[in-house]
Amino acid sequence: MELTELQDKIFAFVEAAKGKKKLKEKDILKGVSAAEGLEKDEVKKAMRAMIDVGRLMYSYGGGASSVEIPSEEYLREKGLIK
Amino acid sequence: MKKYDTPLLDELEKGPWPSFVTEMKKAGQKNEMANDAVGHLEKCFKTRIGYWKHGGIVGVLGYGGGVIGRYSEIGDEFPGVAHFHTVRLNQPSGFFYTTKALREICDIWDKYGSGLTNMHGSTGDIVLLGTNTAALEPIFAEYSSRGWDLGGSGSDLRTPSCCVGPGRCEWANYDTLDVIYNLTQEYQDELHRPMFAYKFKIKAAGCACDCVASLARADMSIIGTWKGDIQIDQAEVKNYAANGMDINSEIVGMCPTECMSYDGGELKIDNANCKRCMHCITKMTKALQPGAERGATICIGSKAPIVVGSLLSWVVVPFIKLEPPYTELKELIRKIWDWWDDNAKPRERIGEVIEMKGMRSFLEAIGIDPQPQQIKEPRKDPFMFYTDEDIAKFKANEAEEKKTGVYKF
Amino acid sequence: MALPERKTDIGPPHYKQFMPPVIVNNYGKWKYHEVLSPSAMVHVADSGDKLWTVRVASPRILATDSIREICDISDKYCDGHLRFTTRNNVEFLVSDEKNLEPIQAELKEKGFLTGGIGAGISNVVHTQGWVHCHGAATDASGLVKAMMDELVDYFTTKRLPNKLRLAVACCVNMCGAVHCSDIALVAVHTKVPTIDHEKVKNMCELPTVISSCPTRAISPDPAKKSVKIKEDKCMYCGNCFTVCPPINIKDPDRDGIAIVVGGKVSSLRTNPKFSKLVIPYISNEPPRWPKVVAAVKHIVEVYADNARKHERVGEWIERIGWESFFKLTGIEFSYQCIDDFTFMRDTLRTSSTFKW
Repeated sequence: MELTELQDKIFAFVEAAKGKKKLKEKDILKGVSAAEGLEKDEVKKAMRAMIDVGRLMYSYGGGASSVEIPSEEYLREKGLIK
Repeated sequence: MKKYDTPLLDELEKGPWPSFVTEMKKAGQKNEMANDAVGHLEKCFKTRIGYWKHGGIVGVLGYGGGVIGRYSEIGDEFPGVAHFHTVRLNQPSGFFYTTKALREICDIWDKYGSGLTNMHGSTGDIVLLGTNTAALEPIFAEYSSRGWDLGGSGSDLRTPSCCVGPGRCEWANYDTLDVIYNLTQEYQDELHRPMFAYKFKIKAAGCACDCVASLARADMSIIGTWKGDIQIDQAEVKNYAANGMDINSEIVGMCPTECMSYDGGELKIDNANCKRCMHCITKMTKALQPGAERGATICIGSKAPIVVGSLLSWVVVPFIKLEPPYTELKELIRKIWDWWDDNAKPRERIGEVIEMKGMRSFLEAIGIDPQPQQIKEPRKDPFMFYTDEDIAKFKANEAEEKKTGVYKF
Repeated sequence: MALPERKTDIGPPHYKQFMPPVIVNNYGKWKYHEVLSPSAMVHVADSGDKLWTVRVASPRILATDSIREICDISDKYCDGHLRFTTRNNVEFLVSDEKNLEPIQAELKEKGFLTGGIGAGISNVVHTQGWVHCHGAATDASGLVKAMMDELVDYFTTKRLPNKLRLAVACCVNMCGAVHCSDIALVAVHTKVPTIDHEKVKNMCELPTVISSCPTRAISPDPAKKSVKIKEDKCMYCGNCFTVCPPINIKDPDRDGIAIVVGGKVSSLRTNPKFSKLVIPYISNEPPRWPKVVAAVKHIVEVYADNARKHERVGEWIERIGWESFFKLTGIEFSYQCIDDFTFMRDTLRTSSTFKW
């Protein structure tokens, strides 16, 4: 699978959980790797690349960390959108 | 700058102990955020309640740890602390600094933050208290370009820390400073990107004195110890006696295993019965030294009371040699994390998972044999698990005994 | 002005670049040390080289300008080397004996408090409190300051049978090793939390909230799409508040301070121990918490008068028995001191042999 395609799948996975469940990094690795028949490490690499450019972000709430889709406010603060 | 009336906090500027209020006011003289932090705190003292919100979503791009979001519920009243985030900087092993390094840390912090610090937080980080969201990326660029990285927070490996170790202590049974530096470098990914069910703390103490409180508050406690005889300098024993030490009452009489004797001449130790508690060594430091084969005991699981009570770490690996590049230790840590990752529910520390799943499951997963050093006493109840393999093994042993006519227990 | 380029995953700087030459040269080759006074000690290496350490208290919260003042002194007497301890003390690392007296004199003149070494009270491990934590039921720095103003002589000059480790936690989360200290203060809530159901619905994951409760007091409230709390099961730990802010546990009139004693982390002589509850509740009285301070001072003094040399608080109490501790201190024994949670089986007495 192309990297961009995999990243789109990861994004869709996170988007589907939005507002329902706070996803831990390992939930995403487990879910996407099972659905796409890929190694967790490959999913991890692709997901990390998304976090590095702000397509996804680490979040914190309820006493634990999770991975989410960044808000506009976050992207603006990081200078990724105007 | 707004001048706050602080009659309650002023009370805490009186008296001989150094005052944190004086520190906050000092920073507040030249920094709006610190000034508002003083006013904000006075209000807490007056109403006897806190106004900080739960952590918010802030951090530096790519990292999930190192910054703790902090916002005030009453930011309108105290705009300087509307955002008041904490930045954790990973401390150098053993908290050693040059003044040049400290001044550099201070200069950057004055430029972007409140000017308030904790030297250090409980976990060990340099804690920079109070900055706003917009300053986070510049702060990270300034510090990281000068060799300082962020520490851990959230569901990640928390910043590992250690005692002063071989830097300035004669009792270090392994190089605590190097182990912690080495592990911190090895696990940068786990430290900065929260991938665990919850936090994981590693603390390295060079001996049973445990100056870093490892056994009480680290998921992995690495406690230095030794094998072999305590090394005795009898001439120095005589000096202690000559200088007024009552060796029989203070040393021999306080030995928990009663393995020492002293008749006014030589101090004798029955080393086979010594449990290496360090009492005698710490009291007669010139005369006694740990044995020659040095290493550590690995204990797992300690934590504070949340959720169902405090735990102290349990002995898992009674003895491990710790020499660079610490391959055995690193392999063990990976196995521990893999098992934890497979079995933990959200916000479950490793000690809690071991309680749920049983020590056997854990030991089998990390490849450690059961040993009496791991327990205070064996099981007291008769409710236990047997696998088919266990019974097969017992039966095979008995078949062997029937052949040889010799029982083995 | 352009920012420098960020680097990621570089880790902390290597510690050796910050060590004075005497440490680099004698690293791992220290032979023994001697405590010269509560303020100073000397470490002697196999080579015969010596390193003197002068310790001063810090209030843990330090303004950058105070760190710079500490640096000035280190530059003058220690060639710019220093370290901190795990208990927030500053240690000046003196390589030249001739600087030992002058640095102590200057520290005194500048108002620094030297001490904390050996069998006395060192600095206090504590949490953030109202200064910076959302969950704080009291202020930790304030309690430390009030308490140490009264106990300061044990830091600077007065000696005890052994070290006495104090700690303060501003809630039962106990960030820091409060649960294994000789004497520790822990702020407690005492009332069942109130629930803002509208907000719970929007802000919290219900399964997480339900599983956060150690006593299983929380169950779903389907009608409100929220949760309910069984009042007689709640022990007010506040873990539900941690995972779900609209469940409010804070109550200024009911939050208070409990005192626990007899813990230790070292394995010297006896095994590490948890601290045990002796005073379940004292009202939260900033800015000086007079009753809390008086209680701690009283326990310290009873320990000082009764323990044998080298006994830690917990070892002394185990030797004499807890019933004797309550008798000697005159502390009223209360229901809360009897464990009705996870440690009940281990802590109830199962023998008729005890002291009157």
